[in-house]
Amino acid sequence: MKIDWQKIGIKELAALVSEKLRKGGVDSILVGGACVSIYTKNKYQSFDLDFVTHTTIKEVTPLLSELGFQRESSRHFVRHDCPFFIEFVAPPAAVGNEPLKGEKNIKTKLGTLVLMTPTDSVKDRLAAYYHWNDQQALEQALMVTESQKIDFHEIQRWSEQEGHSEKHRQFLERVRKVGHQSKRSTKKAK
Amino acid sequence: MVIGEVMLEGIFGNVIVEKVLFTLYVYGEGYPLGMAKTFKEPVNRLQQQLQRLENAGIIVSRLIGKVRVYTFNPRYPFLQELKALIAKAFEFLPEKEKDAYYKKRTRPRRAGKPI
Repeated sequence: MKIDWQKIGIKELAALVSEKLRKGGVDSILVGGACVSIYTKNKYQSFDLDFVTHTTIKEVTPLLSELGFQRESSRHFVRHDCPFFIEFVAPPAAVGNEPLKGEKNIKTKLGTLVLMTPTDSVKDRLAAYYHWNDQQALEQALMVTESQKIDFHEIQRWSEQEGHSEKHRQFLERVRKVGHQSKRSTKKAK
Repeated sequence: MVIGEVMLEGIFGNVIVEKVLFTLYVYGEGYPLGMAKTFKEPVNRLQQQLQRLENAGIIVSRLIGKVRVYTFNPRYPFLQELKALIAKAFEFLPEKEKDAYYKKRTRPRRAGKPI
């Protein structure tokens, strides 16, 4: 299949990389902002694909090279005609003090993508909000809650475990507001 | 004065990493040139090890003006355990080393004051 690297979508590229790694015997999982892009259908657009793997970068390099991605720095890979870059972040795949709770598989015509679950994606964004007060990360967490089914009990349990009950309360307030606004706009549209 | 006692070098692979971790443990943050001056080490050695720790997800950095400031990564899953180890090792650090490296003034000093 011929690939238009300039126009390829983030989900397709992530699936292509995920499949290539798996066929090369490398288990990996997509984490970070790319998951937000995929779960929100690009309402938030990320240009970096963060993968976690327990395999060394040395072993990953020839596999990505087969896709035309060259190693640019210690953990980054780029392809000159592709707007996205690929990074391998240090394992383990975790959100805060805990390992990820499972994974999600999305089948595309370019392969199967393994990524963090929507609930873990929300936790991942909230971790940046909790620890660094990053408002963009909070907005991204809200976008995922709007677009996907989320386990809010799990998010509450994790937030308390992380010691951020107050910020979790602020997050829930925003979730309620966003839900209220979207209900009103749906009624208007009707 | 050069003081050479090391305790965690065996685990972390080199003495600079131990000094970086003690610095971040004591002061909460640090920057390459400041640490290089404190420990009388070449700044590129510090930068190398800081980058290694950052790649491993143990520390994070942000630019403040032109200075890259490093802190522990609060999202590192083993941070609590790592800090406990550093705290324990710090207790065993000789007083002369604590005095030389880890008791610098951190309270504010108004600009323009004579030395």
